[in-house]
Amino acid sequence: MTALFEMKSLTKNYWQTETQMECTYLFSDLTATIDSSERIALLGKSGQGKSTLLRMLALLDNADSGEIRFNGVQAKDMDTRVWRMKITYVAQQAVMLPGTIEENLKTVSKLHNETFNDKHAQKLMKDVGLESIDWAKKAADLSGGEKQRIALVRSLLLAPSILLLDEVTASLDQQSKAYVENLLIKWSEVEKTAFIWVTHDLEQAKKVSERIWYMENGTLAVDCKTESFFEHQHSFSDSVIL
Amino acid sequence: MSLLALTFTLLFVVITMLLSVWQKLDLEKDIAIGTVRAAIQLLAVGYVLQFVFQSKNLLFIVLIICIMIVVAAHNAAKRAKGMSGVVWRIILSIATMEILMMGLLLSLQIIEATPQYIIPLSGMTIGNAMVACGLFLTQLKRETESSKGEIETLLALGATSRQAVQDVLKRSVKFCMIPTIDAMKTVGLVQLPGMMTGMIIAGADPVEAVRYQILIIFVFTSSSAITSMMLSVLCYKNLFTKDLQLKKWSE
Ligand SMILES: Nc1ncnc2c1ncn2[C@@H]1O[C@H](COP(=O)(O)OP(=O)(O)OP(=O)(O)O)[C@@H](O)[C@H]1O
Ligand SMILES: [Mg+2]
Repeated sequence: MTALFEMKSLTKNYWQTETQMECTYLFSDLTATIDSSERIALLGKSGQGKSTLLRMLALLDNADSGEIRFNGVQAKDMDTRVWRMKITYVAQQAVMLPGTIEENLKTVSKLHNETFNDKHAQKLMKDVGLESIDWAKKAADLSGGEKQRIALVRSLLLAPSILLLDEVTASLDQQSKAYVENLLIKWSEVEKTAFIWVTHDLEQAKKVSERIWYMENGTLAVDCKTESFFEHQHSFSDSVIL
Repeated sequence: MSLLALTFTLLFVVITMLLSVWQKLDLEKDIAIGTVRAAIQLLAVGYVLQFVFQSKNLLFIVLIICIMIVVAAHNAAKRAKGMSGVVWRIILSIATMEILMMGLLLSLQIIEATPQYIIPLSGMTIGNAMVACGLFLTQLKRETESSKGEIETLLALGATSRQAVQDVLKRSVKFCMIPTIDAMKTVGLVQLPGMMTGMIIAGADPVEAVRYQILIIFVFTSSSAITSMMLSVLCYKNLFTKDLQLKKWSE
């Protein structure tokens, strides 16, 4: 059986400036697979290339070598847009599109000529704790945490097979954070959606994930079940510092 | 104007030179080059136009307009260094605008089908379209850089290249229309346009001169709009790689 998603020997070189000619890599030889509805937490120190990896998986950046496959089909053999609708990146810095909250939520249905499911959107907004927000409000005026949650809902409305979540709760208070965590765990179970969730919060990783990927020294140093990661945490490198 | 009178106009250049030397602006060389070029170019154009007007050959008119378009496109393309094939796109945009404009002006008999009308009017509209293209490309570059997050957000949601830059294109077109629209609002109050002034000095009735000026201003506005919109349609694909990623706009 083919895995839902595979990456093989992915390598990303550093962005080269003109003067620096030697080719050093940000990360190399990343190999892993994801099964359907699997929940993965991606850990690693700042600057390890976690965001770069997620952007690469969403085809927003190019790998310098290696390949990625979705349901056995290579990225380059698939229409980029179809790929991005299946494997959707939710950025570290939530970007609101010009216009109101409503217009932002309707982006996906507008882009793909679908009818907007008002009830569904309202339900999701409630799940992330934005039940009472006025949809006519300008999106640019929202707080960082509100933007982040709306960006998440905007992507969920696309109903992708794999969500690439880049520190999506970084600017949320404890309660909203718990809302988002619960929503995404439930979503993954009900919709059979897998996710890779980048986080610096070990408690969060423990709560939301079934598997941990830990990036260190330019490679995927650890890929194991969440429980065994936390049991053997002390034995990985000096200790996982995030 | 007699040749002697024309020679006296060099006095203005001398004044500028003296000012430059006195204030150590270090502009003497540029002023000298500019003076010689302006004189030669304009005199040459004068003789060329005289020849074309007398020959009344359509081929010459078309040739002159083509040269104008190519020179204008090369100039405007300097604003988009690093974007490949932009010259051709500009040429196509300006040429389409020119054909449309002249087609309308001539078929509605707004102007006479003689070189005296066609060439100066074409020159002015093409010049105006050149400025519009330059502004559009400068703004497009700025907008794509500052809206990178917005464009990538849309791409990540499965947008086509067109959908991802639609707003950016709209804002850039709007931006390059501002000067002509502002000019339209203040013309006659703030600036007396060159063509009108020229006609009046050459002895035309001011009211007649004004009519042509109105024509020019309306033509300018629509030529900016047509050229920049056309250019935006021709250019947007160029902002992306074939993998539907935003290109780095290298200098
Ligand atoms: N477009 C770019 N141009 C040049 N360098 C870049 C670019 N994007 C990322 N980098 C570099 O690549 C490295 C990895 O960046 P990345 O954002 O992937 O790290 P990260 O693991 O997500 O870090 P954080 O936890 O702080 O978000 C950094 O050193 C960064 O400076
Ligand atoms: Mg990051």
